[in-house]
Amino acid sequence: MTPAELAAALKSKDDKQRAAGIDSAAQSGPAAIKAVCPLLGDPETETIRAAKRALYKVVHDAGKPGDAAKARAVEKEFVAVLQTSSSIPERREVLWMLSEIGGDDSVKPVAALLANADLREDARCVLQRIPGKASLKALNDALKTVPEEFKYHVAESLRKRGEKVSGYPSRRLVPTKHTSVQPVA
Amino acid sequence: MGEPVPPTNRRTFLKSAGTALAAGATLGLPQIIPSNVLAAAGKPGANDRLVIGHIGVGGMGGGHLGYTLARQNRGDVKVVAVCDADEKRLANAAKQAKGATPYRDYRYLIERKDIDAVIIATPDHWHAVQTVHAADCGKHVYVEKPACCTIEEGKAMVAAGQRNQVAIQVGSQGRSQRECYKANLYIANGMIGKVRKVTCWHYETPADNKPLPDSEPPPELDWDLWLGPMRWRPYNARYLHGVFRWVMESGGGQIRDRGAHVMSNALWIMNADHTGPVSIQGTGVLPTKGLWDSALTMDVTYEFKNPDWTLVWSQPGEPVPYFDREKVKNLGIREQYGAVYHGDKDKLVVWVGDGQVFTEMKAVDFKKPAGGVDVHQSPSFDHHEDWFQGIKTGRKTVMNIEAGVATAFLTVLGNLSVVLGRKLQWDPVKQEIVGDEQARRMMSRPQRYPYCL
Repeated sequence: MTPAELAAALKSKDDKQRAAGIDSAAQSGPAAIKAVCPLLGDPETETIRAAKRALYKVVHDAGKPGDAAKARAVEKEFVAVLQTSSSIPERREVLWMLSEIGGDDSVKPVAALLANADLREDARCVLQRIPGKASLKALNDALKTVPEEFKYHVAESLRKRGEKVSGYPSRRLVPTKHTSVQPVA
Repeated sequence: MGEPVPPTNRRTFLKSAGTALAAGATLGLPQIIPSNVLAAAGKPGANDRLVIGHIGVGGMGGGHLGYTLARQNRGDVKVVAVCDADEKRLANAAKQAKGATPYRDYRYLIERKDIDAVIIATPDHWHAVQTVHAADCGKHVYVEKPACCTIEEGKAMVAAGQRNQVAIQVGSQGRSQRECYKANLYIANGMIGKVRKVTCWHYETPADNKPLPDSEPPPELDWDLWLGPMRWRPYNARYLHGVFRWVMESGGGQIRDRGAHVMSNALWIMNADHTGPVSIQGTGVLPTKGLWDSALTMDVTYEFKNPDWTLVWSQPGEPVPYFDREKVKNLGIREQYGAVYHGDKDKLVVWVGDGQVFTEMKAVDFKKPAGGVDVHQSPSFDHHEDWFQGIKTGRKTVMNIEAGVATAFLTVLGNLSVVLGRKLQWDPVKQEIVGDEQARRMMSRPQRYPYCL
């Protein structure tokens, strides 16, 4: 399938056509990304799901050991989507796909989303997951720039990455949510 | 409270209480002890009674609550707290557990110093975080299976159990059943020879054939808390309840739901709790529609070394019907899953594998010879009682956290191999994937703050 044919199959109302698109996505490779990513913001739920399934096929195929060039090509396409799209759902999915395949080239565009209130928590998680010094530096830099309340989140990621962080202690055990249910005598 | 409270478990509590009583006696202070604290013949005193909190009280959690309330009536436990993110379920539990304090947020429950132990029966994506937090607060833990959703979570659970010296029992209760014990005893005593292969069969994971669009969560549900460590997404009715099992992030399909029983028994019978496979080869069919994304059908082959043996999970596999049809009917035996143990002299079939376990009569009738090998036998063939004994005596429970995590790792790795579409190499000593950068990343999944390990 060409990228356009793949996108059309994924957008189809027919279950079989969507399934055929998902099954063929890996063969389309990096070229599919630009055409399929906009479907992640489609109003039709099954189209979104089909697009997500297809794109993960691309990610997992490109992540096979021994084909670094393919992985970098996929990363490049996703980074381009991240930098041009304005859709929150689309960028949220792309962020998590980059968490599985992204490297140093993803770090700057992902870190830029720490300034986006809707996407910063996803971006933090993705930086935590991408290995290497660049993502670690981005998290350390973020600790100086993100809003005060979000610094606790970034500090948690840094600790997960083995960093010592002064201040912003973990609040994972701080209870916050009350029930309206009363005990029964 | 910014950090975990210092561990206080029953052992340390009793020790400090004893010291305080002795000090009081020395000083000649009056000691007023409520009568209900003192034990009477046939009725344990309050100091022998485990004080329990329940986290997750629907589905399996409701079953656990029924069990502990029955034990409470016999005077050997006290249920003081119930917790759920669903207010309807919570209200129902509060009605059953009269006097227990209801909580929406489990963190209020585990910070209570009067609670010795918690029973966690939340969806899978909560198991690790809640177990680690509870253990760090000094609580003994019974946690539903499968233990963890990722390799990182499993390692954190084992570490938390070890550093806090608490008893953790994972809810793969097959090991505590009489006929599983008999099957283990039979094989451990060489009755079918050396076992080189175990083949498991199970029916398929259901497909989401009635998909629904996202919507507002029902008023009784705290959706943010239900999601917990998972990344945020809009509510969809196909996530819960019960059906969380068919979503990869919160469940993972039949290999995890029932594999956590059938393969738990296999690791136990093969004496392989402290080992792991060296390779995992999975193939399967992933759904192309709906919310649920766990493999519908799958076959996974795990190769173990030193000793060499193979474990196969087939979904569906070749069913082995139970031969006693009258018994099947009378006992409601679910023969759609189980495992065959292939020895070099004979084979043995173990049907079902959870709260129901059946094996062949040759194993049921087997008597251990003098000097023969013995295996762990849960007291009264009761999985909860095995946990209580572990708490009281400090001995390892039958489905301790190391064993629970070893089983969960099989299910996690099987799913990962299917999703990635390739064979994985595993270092069972370091407990990590080898030679596959992408798969290595997927050994962990960053968690949403503040619901982190």
